[in-house]
Amino acid sequence: MVRLITHNVLACHAKNCNTNNFPLQFKDVKVEHREAEFNADFLKGFLPKLEWKALVDTAKELGDTSLPDEQPEMLDDEFLQNLHHVLLEIHVEEGSMTCPNCGHVYPIFNGIPNMLLAEHEIG
Amino acid sequence: MPTPFLFHFAQAHNEFRLPELSSICELHGIPFSLSKNPQSNDPNRPFMVIELENEEQARILAKRCILIKAIYEFYGQGSTYEELHEENRKSEPLWRKYVENTSFRFLITAYQHKIPQSRQRDVMESFAYMGFLGKIDMKNPEITLTCFEDYEERTGVTRVKHEGDGDFRQVFFGRLIVDGSARALIGKFDVKKRVYYGNTSMESEISLIMANQTLAAPGKFIYDPFMGTGSMAYPTAHFGAFIFGSDIDGRQMRGKQKEPGVLRAAKQYGVASRIIDLSTFDITHNPLRCGEMFDAIVTDPPYGVRAGAKRLGRKKSLPDYKKELTRQHNLNGRPDDQPYIPPTKPYELSHLARDLVLLSRYLLKPGGRLVFFLPTVTDEYEEVDIHTMLCEGMEVIANSLQDFGSWGRRLVTIRKVTKEKYPPPTFEPAPNDQDTHIPAHKDFREKYFQGFRSSKSESVEPEGQEQDSGSDAQQ
Repeated sequence: MVRLITHNVLACHAKNCNTNNFPLQFKDVKVEHREAEFNADFLKGFLPKLEWKALVDTAKELGDTSLPDEQPEMLDDEFLQNLHHVLLEIHVEEGSMTCPNCGHVYPIFNGIPNMLLAEHEIG
Repeated sequence: MPTPFLFHFAQAHNEFRLPELSSICELHGIPFSLSKNPQSNDPNRPFMVIELENEEQARILAKRCILIKAIYEFYGQGSTYEELHEENRKSEPLWRKYVENTSFRFLITAYQHKIPQSRQRDVMESFAYMGFLGKIDMKNPEITLTCFEDYEERTGVTRVKHEGDGDFRQVFFGRLIVDGSARALIGKFDVKKRVYYGNTSMESEISLIMANQTLAAPGKFIYDPFMGTGSMAYPTAHFGAFIFGSDIDGRQMRGKQKEPGVLRAAKQYGVASRIIDLSTFDITHNPLRCGEMFDAIVTDPPYGVRAGAKRLGRKKSLPDYKKELTRQHNLNGRPDDQPYIPPTKPYELSHLARDLVLLSRYLLKPGGRLVFFLPTVTDEYEEVDIHTMLCEGMEVIANSLQDFGSWGRRLVTIRKVTKEKYPPPTFEPAPNDQDTHIPAHKDFREKYFQGFRSSKSESVEPEGQEQDSGSDAQQ
């Protein structure tokens, strides 16, 4: 787990870390690919929520270059299949995510990211 | 044209019947209306007459509603057999087509009573005017006709065999259309047969009803902010939804093996690919970048009896120099350090409930639903308690009690009725907390362990003291 759909909605939330706190940078990752159910309506519904550039860049880092740099206006089947694969079928199982701004490291164990903040990072 | 159907409900969770029915009707766009007859529109009785447009709709409901035992084509009812037969004769256009050549089975049965065989035969013979010519087939009939006598609740009363026979409130008659197939899911999701569960896992029947309250369906995205061992996730995912779960304590979701326990259980039910992700965080300090993501939020918040809710922070915050020390320590950790575990403090239930509604307003899409359990002290509960946690744009659509005697829990369903965008909640305590109504679920943990002794009038003043003594005990 830690699929890219989740990575795309997680931002660093430490106290006073409000700018340049997204996307979190993957480090030392172990990636697995697992098949997921394709649902075109779900993908289309989620599209407006995505930060497209962050998604494309992160996918590239993990070796998937199937997505276009600009979000297309026409959502053809091939595009949706690629989006499905990137969002739902790439799992980061181990590693960490680092905030580009404050440097907080969010570790990932057995596919579950620990997004808890330290005492000095909360209000 | 609206047609009346006879619904036979499971005799459990009466208050949940109609909310569940109307949720599934909403999900499938099925208009329904209750009977005008007070003898067949009481949701506390196992038999209700409900109008739908056609049989197909009845089949959809029976496939999905956990509390439906069976649905019948409705032929008649009465407080006596004379009344029933009169209505049944009027329904002849409905059953005439089965007279000629349809194999059938005729059942006479009762709720809260056992009809002696001799009278069963008499009753059957009283239907002779229908003149069915087809073969009687008890094993594989083409149609099943059933006559139900509904008796008053008489549990706990000793009586002679067959006493009060024929003294029923109402008798109903109809043709079986479909047995409720969703009830089998209760066994499928039985917690005892689950490969991973905890001591606060929700029983399967209730978690299935909750899943129905969320309108779970393929393509929907549903969030559980107090994921725990995932009891809510499995039935919701079974109905096709994608699940995102979080918990402040990752150990609950992980269990002791390498593969997270929630995933192992999800695999058992064939829904692992629908568990989109699990994440450890405190909802009051959450990393979600944007709102309006989820179709529903479903959760059983910890209320402090077996497990108390926690949030990040300390009851007494550290002086600045100590905070600085922990910061330095975190930055210059040694490689052999144990993973850092931040301190937590209790999260009082009435604050949690209010925050949950605010968070849901931010995270839900317009029209989305928040479904959760709220424990409450039975004697002290007032309707207004629920309203203390509501905010603009969020509306209660169902509120059903599961009664445990001196306390109970309410399954609350709230809909986001606004399209307006709201900022994420601050999770600060509400200003002037004192002036507002104090709901019965406030300090539920303390009240539970005091055996709910303090009556309402007493508890208002010494509230502060109670809290103090409570926190002393924990230190």
